[in-house]
Amino acid sequence: MSEKILMIDDEEDFLSVMSERMEARNMVVTTASSPLEGLEKAAAGSFDVVILDLMMPGMDGIQALRILKEKNPDLEVILLTGHATIKQGIEAMKLGALDLLEKPADLNELTEKIHAAQAKKMVIAEKKNEERIKKILMEKGW
Amino acid sequence: MHSEYDSLGESGLQFFGKVSASIAHEIKNVLAIINENAGLLEDLTFAAQKGAAIDPDRLNRVCLQFNKQILRADEILKNMSRFAHSVDRFEGQVDLHELAVLVSNLAGRPAAMRKLSIVVEPPATPIIAKNNPFLVQNLIWLCLESAFGATTAGGTLRLAAERNDGRSGLRICGIDGLTEDFAAQLPAVCADLLDASGAKLIVDSVKKDLNLVLT
Repeated sequence: MSEKILMIDDEEDFLSVMSERMEARNMVVTTASSPLEGLEKAAAGSFDVVILDLMMPGMDGIQALRILKEKNPDLEVILLTGHATIKQGIEAMKLGALDLLEKPADLNELTEKIHAAQAKKMVIAEKKNEERIKKILMEKGW
Repeated sequence: MHSEYDSLGESGLQFFGKVSASIAHEIKNVLAIINENAGLLEDLTFAAQKGAAIDPDRLNRVCLQFNKQILRADEILKNMSRFAHSVDRFEGQVDLHELAVLVSNLAGRPAAMRKLSIVVEPPATPIIAKNNPFLVQNLIWLCLESAFGATTAGGTLRLAAERNDGRSGLRICGIDGLTEDFAAQLPAVCADLLDASGAKLIVDSVKKDLNLVLT
């Protein structure tokens, strides 16, 4: 199954080549070159993973991560950045980011993280379904 | 200016650190694009080995990206080199326009983070002052940092080196949130730097101009 990815990064040349390479690996990639555009696209679509730059004009990645997680706590977010302090890394993990990779990143490593994120998302979805079924069974008393 | 002043000091180191971190971030972005384009060439080579045709236009676009990023990195490193060598001499003839261009280039990313643009307007004739280049750069940087905080996103800051009443200075225009107490809100170290370089700051809250006046 193809993973649906949202990439948010202000470097358009990076977005262009990265999405081309990821699509060649059977992923469906949507790009956004600003945090606001990214938040709009995240709200409008359903994504397995968001790949988010940490430093962008207008809104930093931590702020964008906080909004993404508030709106959809199950959304898996991988931070990909040219520069991250230890403090930012800890803050990102506390906010629920799955991982933080530094640019230039190894695409194979990123792909593995994306697979892991999708697997985690599926486990969460299955668990939620299981709980929903249990609740229905309890309510109906079958 | 005070010849005994330690132009680096704690403030100088902080300035150096901020500029270095910003340059490192820029270079990492350039490397990431080069890295992905190299990876794309590997992907295309792998596909060709499996019998797929390679589109020459696609290869050409990768080459253009390499050239573009190399030029970008070269520009970043030229600025870094000029900045690094500004501590070579304690005092000398400072071309204020050149210095303003350099600092505005170094501050390009912090400005972009706040959705601000910087334009440096060239003077009709060179504006030269005898001073410590690193101290003056640090002062311009601190003024710009504070100006960023007082300017509405989407705005443009205009820098112009000029000579008035026999004194050289740098005017920063377009700070729409500039108030009379702007100078008091600057980092405490600014007062030391102004004293050490024999400079003063004049705030014009009506015109929304900040003028850094040197000797």
